[in-house]
This record gives sequence, C-alpha cells and structure tokens, in this order.
Amino acid sequence: MPTIQVENLTKRYGATTAIQDLAFSVDKGEIVGFLGPNGAGKSTTMRILAGSLGATEGRALVGGIDVFDDPRKVKQMVGYLPETPPLYTDMTVRSYLRFCARVKHASEPRKAVERVIEQVGLSEVAHRLIDHLSKGFRQRVGIAQALVHEPKVLILDEPASGLDPAQRVEIRELVKELSAGEVTVVLSTHVLPEVEAICKRVIIIHQGRIVAQDLVENLEGGGHSIRVHVARPVDDAEAKLGAIGGVTAVARSDGGVFAVEASADVREQVARVAVDWGLLELGSTRGLEDVFLKLTADEEPA
Amino acid sequence: MNIWPIAGREFRSIFNTTIGWLVLAGFLLITGVFWASMVSYYAVQSTDVVSNPYAASQMNLTDYLFSPFFGNTAIVLMMVCPAISMRLFSEETKQHTMELLLTSPVSTLEIVLGKFLGGLGFVVVLLLATMAGPLFLAPFVHLDYGAVGAGYLGLLLVGASILAMGMLFSSLTSNQIVALVWAFVGALALWVLSWVSQNPDSVFSEIGMVTHVQDMFTGLVHVSNLVYFVAFMAFFLFATWQRVESFRWS
Repeated sequence: MPTIQVENLTKRYGATTAIQDLAFSVDKGEIVGFLGPNGAGKSTTMRILAGSLGATEGRALVGGIDVFDDPRKVKQMVGYLPETPPLYTDMTVRSYLRFCARVKHASEPRKAVERVIEQVGLSEVAHRLIDHLSKGFRQRVGIAQALVHEPKVLILDEPASGLDPAQRVEIRELVKELSAGEVTVVLSTHVLPEVEAICKRVIIIHQGRIVAQDLVENLEGGGHSIRVHVARPVDDAEAKLGAIGGVTAVARSDGGVFAVEASADVREQVARVAVDWGLLELGSTRGLEDVFLKLTADEEPA
Repeated sequence: MNIWPIAGREFRSIFNTTIGWLVLAGFLLITGVFWASMVSYYAVQSTDVVSNPYAASQMNLTDYLFSPFFGNTAIVLMMVCPAISMRLFSEETKQHTMELLLTSPVSTLEIVLGKFLGGLGFVVVLLLATMAGPLFLAPFVHLDYGAVGAGYLGLLLVGASILAMGMLFSSLTSNQIVALVWAFVGALALWVLSWVSQNPDSVFSEIGMVTHVQDMFTGLVHVSNLVYFVAFMAFFLFATWQRVESFRWS
C-alpha cells in the first residue's frame, strides 16, 4: 500500500478553486517533487497532507489513515516544513527544538534534539537566539523542527529557499539519506535542477490540477533537441544538418545558432559536420525545464 | 493532555518581551502605591478612633484595608491583562508559528488551554508579587487568612476572565494593537457596567464584573459569583476554540 494516497482532492475558497480533483500516490521511501508555477496549489496540497488545512472534497490517506478522520495519528507520522519556517524567534535554537520535540511527542526529547542539531548542522548556533540567525540557518532550524519526532513522512515546502549552493547540496544529501532510511519525502521547489538531482518522480501542478506525473527520465525523454552554435555557418548548413539520419527538423536563427530536432541522439554526427564550420557550442536542450514550461503555459491567456 | 509544553513556552516567552516586564513593573508600582497609602490611612484612622470605643470595635483590616486594596488592584489588573492576552494568538499568526501547532499532534482545544494557562501563570506571578505587602504586615497584626485568600481568589478570577476574553480578540487578528484595544474596551465596559447602574439588581450591574467580585474582597465566596466567572471564562474559551478550529478552513 502506498504511504500517501490522495483521491480526488478538491479545495475551494469561496468561489476560487485552489486545487481540483488531485489524485496521486507516493510509495514508501520515495522522493517526489511537486512542481508548478506560483499559486498552482502546491502549498495547499501540502498543508492538507500535513493536517493544517481541511479539504472541500476528496480523501487524503497517510500510512493508510485518513487525514480528516484521525488527524492526531497522521500528524505524529508527518514532519512538515511550511513555506515560511514556523520559528519562535525569541527562543534559542535548542530551546525551540526542545519545545517542538515535546509538543510532537518525540520519544526522549532531549536526545532527539541533539540528534537533529547534528543531522542538520546546527551545532555552532544551537545556543543562539533564532532572531539573530541568517536566513539559511533559519531554514535549517525549520527542517530540524520537521525531523525532530522521527516522522515516516516528510513534507517540505521549498526546503532549499534561502540556502546557498553548498547548503543546498547538504540538504539534498540529507533528504537522500532519509529516503534511504525509508522516509517518504514530498517536496516542492522552484529550482528545477534540484528536482532532477533528488526526485525520482515529479508531479506537475498547474492551476490546481495535475498536468503530469511521471518518472523524471520519462518526462525528459521522447525526442531529442540539440542546440548547435558555430562560428562560420555555410549557406547550405541547414540542408547538411538535415541530411543526417534521424534528424526531423532544423531551424536556423541569428548568429549561427541551429536548433536540431531528431528521433535519436545524433549529437556525435552533428558535431562531426559542425566542426568544419568552427563549432563553438553543442548541447542537448530538452530537459525538465522545457517540459515544465510547455505544460504550464496558458493555452488561452486570460 | 499535551497542554504543558505549550503553556510553559507561553509563560517563558512573556518574560522575553518588553511588554511583560513593563506590565510587571507598572502593576507592582501602582498596587504598591495603593497599598502604602491605604496602610498609612488605616493607621491614621485607628489613632482617631482610640477615644471612641464603638468606632474602634467596628474597624477591622478586612473591611478597611484589604477590601479597598483588592478593589483597586482588581481595576488595575483588568487594565493590564489585555496587554498579556494581546499576543497569545496574534503573535502566532504573525510569526507563522500557528502552522507548527496546527500540524503537531495536539488538539485545538489543547492549544487554546495551553496558551490560556501560560498567560494565567503570568497573572499568578503578578498576584504573588503583591503579597509582599500583606506578608510584611502579618507579624504585627491579626490577619484573617480566609478573607485574604478569598480576595486573592477573586483577583485570580478577574485576571483569568479578562485573559480569556482578550485571547478571543487575539485570535481574531494578527495585529496585537487591535487585540489590545478590543480587550481593553471590553475590560473597561465590564468595570463601568458595575458602577454606572444605580440599581444593584439591574441587568447591567449583573453583567459587570466588579459586582461579582466585591463580596469576595470582604471574604465572602458566593456560589452565584463563582458561576458568573466560570460561565464567563467558559464562553470565551469556547469561542476561541471555535475560532482556532476555523484556521483549518482558511
């Protein structure tokens, strides 16, 4: 049975619909990324799963328990980091985490606090007031708060926001580690490389609906787009590129840049041809970003 | 019940604020001045009645010192409690920490009771601090401990009631000042209603809070007065509970 199961989940605020008919499931130990433009309904969905928001329709089950039937049990299983880390800024990091551990019924609160301080890398600031911490450290305290009661499910809303690249890698490693320990992770992010680096599967939400959910490699796959930049394009360059086996379309733009569409990976053949024209750059352009932009583009601008 | 971590955090956090210390200092200063002037007035009066045995027999500490002292302290308490209650929920909404409590395995009622008890702890500190005066007097006079106890019970009930009312206002806004003003106006109304109506049996007088605590300040604890305070607190705690419950739907 999947750890998280969501069935036709709908949330309306008066006349506006935040999310509509969401359905997805997440297996134990999986890392799933939520993608979507601002206001797509990612945070709403995560808040419902974490139990701080009720749904208008539908069901959400965590560990087989309905979030609305037995919220207390679900909350005991879930660690949640909201978009804005919920910090009492007048407390020190350690006393804040002790409070969290107690209120979340961590077994052996004191030990649990020292464990997460170590895990998230807060030892050097543990005695300081949260108010005096940098944004990156505050974000980490927020993550520590979500981990303190050893949850089976981790819901992280933009966990990488405010962190520098090195800290991002640390958090990424931490999430991977937790997932290896069979913690199920759902995270949302704006940073697409982030998703490619840690998530096996992504759910793309747009205007409150799921527009795609698949493994990252499946979303990225299907067709190859190659971008070639050369210094001295010849006049019949387009025809020459088009003659390569597997190439379906070639488009030329200013400054010697060509966009090549192909049914197979033809980078090697393209490179061989283009090297005579002074090859400057060659790369594959099809990535999650393209898929994301295509799926979340508004068909009819409002 | 999981209310103690919440109550403990709330109580400690009041001492992290300037408001907390200002309230403590202001309250002790004002009640201290009251106490000092009343004790000296009582001393003057007792020398005056030395020549009049009847008047002397009528004078006692409960009616001539403690009752007016408690009465004045109650008013000051009613005016400072809104400053304690204003941050109970406004602060949580503003700092986004409500999300932490709402996603922790605690019920909404536990959150409300925890915060209430945390604030009440501070009221208890205020009241304990005012006991310095009576304690200092104790070795020299015959104190009616029952009457003094009843008076402090009355003060505690007044403080708890204003706190419960202020907590509701605090849950309605993320702006502490708005919460403060509403609670202050409410407290003022509850005070004024007691003396503005000439007829002691009128409805207004019955709603007023001071009406119900006066007897306790002279050492009399009536069940009807206790019922008033319990009902008052229950109403506002229930309303706050429902309000916080509604956070899940917004």
